[in-house]
Amino acid sequence: MSKKIMAVDDSATIRQVLNFTLQGAGFQVSEAEDGQDALEKLANDPPDMLITDLNMPRMDGIQLIKEVRKQPWGKFIPILMLTTESQEAKKLEGKAAGASAWLVKPFKPEQLLAIINVVLL
Amino acid sequence: MEYLTFKLDGDEFAVDVLKSREIVDLRSVTKVPQSPEFMLGVINLRGSVVPVIDLRLKFGMAKAETTQATSIVVMDVLVGGETIIVGTLVDSVEEVIELDESQIEPSPRIGTRLNTEFIKGMGKQGEQFLIILDIDRVFSSDELLIVQNAADPAASE
Amino acid sequence: MMDQYAETFREETIELLSELEVGLLELEQRPDDADVIGRVFRALHTVKGSAGMIGFDAISDFTHEVETVFELVRSGSVAVSAELVNLTLAARDMIKSLMDAEFGGQPIDPEAAEQIVAALRSLVPDTKEIAPPVEAGIEATEPEVVEETTYHIRFRPPANIFHRGIRPLALLQELARLGSCRIIAETDAVPDLDELDPELCYLYWDIILATVHDEDKIRDVFIFVEDDCDLKIFAINDDLLDAGGGELRLGDILIQHGDLTHEQLAQVMSSQSKPKLGESLVQAGVVSGAQLDVALEVQAQVKRQQQKRQAIDEASSIRVRSEKLDSLVNLVGELVTVQARLSQTADGQDSPVLSEIAEEVERLTWEMRDHILNIRMLPIGTTFSRYQRLVRDLSRELGKEVQLVTAGAETELDKTVIERLGDPLVHLIRNSIDHGLESPEERQAAGKNPKGTIFLSATHSGANVILEIRDDGGGINREAIRERARTQGLLTSEMETNDTELINLIFTPGFSTVGEVSSVSGRGVGMDVVKKAIDSLRGSINVSSKSGEGTTFTVKLPLTLAIIDGLLVQVAEEIFVLPLSAVEECIELSREDVASANNKNLIRVRGEIVPYLRLRERFDLDGELPDIEQVVVAEAQGQRVGFAVDHVIGEHQTVIKALGTMYKDVKGLSGATILGDGTVALILDLPPLVQEAELDERELTDSIQEKMISFQ
Repeated sequence: MSKKIMAVDDSATIRQVLNFTLQGAGFQVSEAEDGQDALEKLANDPPDMLITDLNMPRMDGIQLIKEVRKQPWGKFIPILMLTTESQEAKKLEGKAAGASAWLVKPFKPEQLLAIINVVLL
Repeated sequence: MEYLTFKLDGDEFAVDVLKSREIVDLRSVTKVPQSPEFMLGVINLRGSVVPVIDLRLKFGMAKAETTQATSIVVMDVLVGGETIIVGTLVDSVEEVIELDESQIEPSPRIGTRLNTEFIKGMGKQGEQFLIILDIDRVFSSDELLIVQNAADPAASE
Repeated sequence: MMDQYAETFREETIELLSELEVGLLELEQRPDDADVIGRVFRALHTVKGSAGMIGFDAISDFTHEVETVFELVRSGSVAVSAELVNLTLAARDMIKSLMDAEFGGQPIDPEAAEQIVAALRSLVPDTKEIAPPVEAGIEATEPEVVEETTYHIRFRPPANIFHRGIRPLALLQELARLGSCRIIAETDAVPDLDELDPELCYLYWDIILATVHDEDKIRDVFIFVEDDCDLKIFAINDDLLDAGGGELRLGDILIQHGDLTHEQLAQVMSSQSKPKLGESLVQAGVVSGAQLDVALEVQAQVKRQQQKRQAIDEASSIRVRSEKLDSLVNLVGELVTVQARLSQTADGQDSPVLSEIAEEVERLTWEMRDHILNIRMLPIGTTFSRYQRLVRDLSRELGKEVQLVTAGAETELDKTVIERLGDPLVHLIRNSIDHGLESPEERQAAGKNPKGTIFLSATHSGANVILEIRDDGGGINREAIRERARTQGLLTSEMETNDTELINLIFTPGFSTVGEVSSVSGRGVGMDVVKKAIDSLRGSINVSSKSGEGTTFTVKLPLTLAIIDGLLVQVAEEIFVLPLSAVEECIELSREDVASANNKNLIRVRGEIVPYLRLRERFDLDGELPDIEQVVVAEAQGQRVGFAVDHVIGEHQTVIKALGTMYKDVKGLSGATILGDGTVALILDLPPLVQEAELDERELTDSIQEKMISFQ
C-alpha cells in the first residue's frame, strides 16, 4: 500500500525538495506551510507519517507534534523533525513532545529516504 | 499379471497394479484455469501437488455426480520419457485380480466407445469383460479418446 | 538535482529578501519590537535553510553568519543599533547579489562578503565559535574489512516507544541488514492480559549479530532511541570464547545482561551445589528461572553462530549429488506443509498439550528447513574468479585498460541461483567494458586513472543477497536514452520523467541504445534480457549512474528459490498467490469506479492511470462479481498493471511446488503451493498474463476496426 506523508515547512523550496524526493520514492505527499495549516489539512486526511520543520510562523513544529500526538490517528504515527545543527535543545524538546526521529538540515535526499526506511519501513 | 479394476459409467476397466500407487478419497480439487475440461485440476497428496483427470470426460462419457464410492486412483505414468504421478477420478474401485495370458483377448475393432489404441486387450473373468487400459498412452495423448466425432472439437485443446 | 528547485528558490528568496528589507526598516523605527526581530530572524533562517538544501553553499554560509548574529539579537546579547540595521541591509543586498551570481549574473568577490561578516561580528561582545554541523542520518558505506565480529546485543526499548511513533520491529529489521543475526524476543516482562496496556511495549530483545560493521554502526540503528532505551552491546571476541572452551559462558552472559555481578558469580561458583552452574545460581537466588532461560537461549544461539563460522573456516565438505539434495528439499517442503496443517489443527483444538507439541514441531521444522536450504548454498567466489579472465580478454579486445576488483566472495547463494546468474553478470560486465568505461586516452584527458575499474561485490542483507556491479566509467548517456525512447514512442516531449525513471528505461524490452553491433555485446541482447533473468530468480535490478563518474547496477536476490513470499487473493471459489516482490499496492474498485472509466479496464492510482485485468475473466471462473473488488497493483513486463480480485486475503510464505508436465503449457501459472488447510493454491506468473491480455486487446481492437471498415 502506498504510504501518505505530510511535509510541513515554511520554505517553498524545501517543501518542493521533500515532495520530489518522496514522490520519486513512491510515496503520496501532501504539504502544509506551518503547523496551523497542517492541522487543518490533517483533520480530514490523516497521513501515515509526518515530516515537519521546527521553526514556522503561526504554529511551530514542536506545537504541531504535541497536537498531533493528542489525536487518535496521530498517537502512533512516525514523526520526523527537520532541525538545524544549532538546535540541540529543540531536538530534546521535540523528542519529549513525541517526535520519532530527526534529520539535520541541509540533508541529502538519500539520508531522508534512509531514515524513512528505518522509521516508517 | 495383477490388475487393479475400477468402474466407469458401468464399464469395468483394469490397469497394471504395479502402476498404481494408492487410492485416495475424493477431496478438494483446485481447478487449473485454461486447461481442458477433463483435466480436473490438482490435489494435495501429503504435500505433493498431483494433477487429477476425469477419465469419464477423457473417454467422452458424460460427467457424473460424485458418490460415496467415487475415488481417485493415483498412478505412476510414463509420459514423454519421464514417469509422473497423476490421479484419475473413477466411479468406484473394485478389486485387484489376477489374469493370465489365456484370459486376455486382443481388443476388438468395434463395439467399444473407445479409441482402440489405448486398449491393451480385453480381459475375461467369467462372464465379465474388462477393458485393460494402456494407461501411459491414455495420458500421453492430449486428445479426447473417442472414435466417434460426437464430442465438440473445440473441447480438445 | 538542483535545477528543478532553482526557480522555486529564487521566487521564494526574492520574497523573503523583500520581507527582510521591510522588517529591517521597521526595526530601525522600533528597535525593541521582539516581533519584528523574530520576523527578520526567520527570514534569514529560511533563506539559509533553503539555500543549503539545494546546494547554494555560498548563499547558505553567508546567510548563516548573519543569522547567527541575529540569534544573539533575539536573545538580547546584541543590541539593535543603526549600525546593525545598516550592516544587515548591506547583507541583504549581498545575499541578493550572491543569488544573482548563481543564476548567471556577476560573480561576487568573496572579500566583499567577508567584510560584511567581519563587521557584523564586531558588534557581538565576544564572538562565539560556530559548532560544526552535526549530521544525523544513516549513511550507506561499503564495509572495507571483510572480517566478521559476533556481537551480543540487548535492546530494551522504553515502554512508551509506540507513543513516539517508533516501531521496534523496524529497528530490528534495520539491524538485521547489517549481517546475519538471530533474534530472541524476551517475553518475561509481559503481564497478564487483564493488566496489559496495549499501547505499551513490554518486550525486549537479545540479538546475536555476526557483522563486518563496527559497534558505532550498530548504535546508529538505535540513534533515535538511544537516550531512552537500554542498549548493551558486547563484542564476543575470541578470548571470551576460549575461556568457555569455544562457547560463551553462562556466567558471562548473565553478567552482560546485568542479572548477575562478578562477586555473586564467584561466590556461587565456589560453593557450587549442583553440577550445572545455572541451577546453582537459581538455587542461590541470585538469578531467576526466567533470566536463566534467557541466558541459556543466548548461549545456544551464540554457539550456533560459532559453529556456522567454524564450518566455513574448516571447509571440510563432501560431494553430494544434486538429485539427492533435491529430494531432501522436497521432503522438507512436504514436512513444512504438513506441519502447517498440524499447527492450524492444533489452533482449532482446545488442547494445550497439543498446541505445545505443534509449536515445538513448528520450531524444529523451520530450523530443519533453514539448514537444508542452506546446504544448497555455495560461495559466489568461484563465479567471481571466472570473471577475472573474462575482463582480461575483453579489455584486450576492446583496447581498454580494466581491472576487476571483487568483494564478498565468500557470500553464499543457492546453487541454482549462482548458475543462472552467470550469464546476466557476464552481460553486465561486458556492457560496462564496452560502453561504460572510456578508452585510456579519454580517461586520461578527463583526469581519471587510465585504468578503469569494475567493482563486483556480494553481501547478505536480511533475507537477501545484494550484488553490486559498479564501474568508474562515463556514466549512462541520458541524451541517448531520451532519443531512443522518443523514437520508440516510449517518451513524448511533453512527458516529464525523473532521472531514475529515465535510466531505468534501459530495461524495457527491445530497448537498446547501441546502434552498431559489436562482436562483444552481440546484437539485440539488451538489458531487458538481464532483467528477465533476474526476474525469473525473483530478484530485482536497479541502476544508478552519475555522468562522468560511473554506473552502478544493484541486483537484489532472495536467498532461496524454494520459498516465495506471496500475497493470497481470492477470486470466486479459488485462491491464488501473487509474488509479493512484484506487488506494489492494493486499491479498491467499486461499481462507480468501473462506470466512471467507461467500462474500460483502467483505474486511477495516486494520480496515475493503471490498466488492470480481471483474473475472473482471464481464468473463466463462474460466479458474480462482488460490488467492491480489489485491484492488486503490481509490476510486470516493466509496467504497472492491476489484477482485479474479489478479496485480498493476506501475506503468506509458501513452499513452491511445480505443477508438473501435464500443465506445462498453461500460461500464467508458475507453480502451486499448499495452504495451511490442505488446499492447493496456484501461484501466478504475472508477465504472461499481461502479455495475453495485451494480445487480446489488440485482437479486439483489430476486429472492431475491421468491422468498422467493412461497415463503411
